[in-house]
Amino acid sequence: MNKLFACLIPCIFILSFIYATRKKVNVYEAFTGGAKDAIPLVVTIFPYIATVLILTELFSASGLESKFLTALSPVFDKLGIPEEIAPLLLVKPLSGNGSLAVLSDILNTYGADAYLSRCACVIYGSSETTLYLGAIYFSGLKRKRLTSALMIALISFLLSAIFGCFVCRFL
Amino acid sequence: MNIIFTYLFIIATAILLFINPDLFLKSVLSGASKGATLCLALVSSYAIWLGLIRVWEESGISKKISKLLSPLVKRVFKTKDEETACAISMNLSINLLGMGGAATPYGIKACQLLDKTDFAEYASAMFFVINATSIQLLPTAIVGVRASLGSISPADIILPSILTSAFSTFLGISLTMLYFKIISRTRQVNSARLIPLKKLKMNGAGTR
Repeated sequence: MNKLFACLIPCIFILSFIYATRKKVNVYEAFTGGAKDAIPLVVTIFPYIATVLILTELFSASGLESKFLTALSPVFDKLGIPEEIAPLLLVKPLSGNGSLAVLSDILNTYGADAYLSRCACVIYGSSETTLYLGAIYFSGLKRKRLTSALMIALISFLLSAIFGCFVCRFL
Repeated sequence: MNIIFTYLFIIATAILLFINPDLFLKSVLSGASKGATLCLALVSSYAIWLGLIRVWEESGISKKISKLLSPLVKRVFKTKDEETACAISMNLSINLLGMGGAATPYGIKACQLLDKTDFAEYASAMFFVINATSIQLLPTAIVGVRASLGSISPADIILPSILTSAFSTFLGISLTMLYFKIISRTRQVNSARLIPLKKLKMNGAGTR
């Protein structure tokens, strides 16, 4: 099954390029043009990523993190979520770049193939920065139902995190 | 985010001041350099996917995708407007590929267009929930990060991710529908009970 998904991404590239060639698109020009946009995109997110990582370093160096986690771990334990992933759950709804930083920290600490890291990846990959999205999507709208929509999204997020950790035990 | 950052920073630094002041500069620097490393991994992954998306745009694949999705989009969001449906489909299809950041501009546009439609409250809430619960087929960014950190099979989180995100999106959609059903019912009851005289003037208000 995993072999199949490993083939998926290369196949998408092959099919897209064949199709583009048949449509007489200059694939090389188009690809480099798109790749160029990666630099400004990363330049805009770098400050946020760096800031959050600085904060998490301070947080763990000051010993606040371990205190915080021991306080929360019984709750997460009951829900079936490993406590090491708790920081990710807390940051993810707030900031995508911040949670990406937290995720890479988890991957670095426990190894990219550990159960914990896979749980973290699944949680990261199956959720969005709910509060951030809410702020930008609903700003400037006349008729909004922000609070109820936010609650629904956050409930789904927590339940799906539990579900994700459960799934990772088997797959 | 501002409040959280400022307070956490002050508290953590104050504690460090008492425990071990030397550690402050060291941890701050190590945080920043981790950020730089991560961005390097990201820029490589984005270069690949943004490149592919540009190839799609120029060969007309993105237009086809949005045409394919638009009947479904029009039904789910109760809109008939072509432009709205197109913005939503583009947002959803980029999201499906795991490029959340690239999808945001389309999302903002879609929200503003949805605000003008008849079922704005319902449609914008639904659109937000679908976006917030994330619909991802390929979590490309994570696969990239895992690969760069030396994972043996970086793609083996794709299946659990799909299952989980399908679960959360399904949950979110059902909860939203349920919520708006309850809302419209209570509104109908209220308008029938409390202000029976005004009911004629606000025809249709309860169904929203």
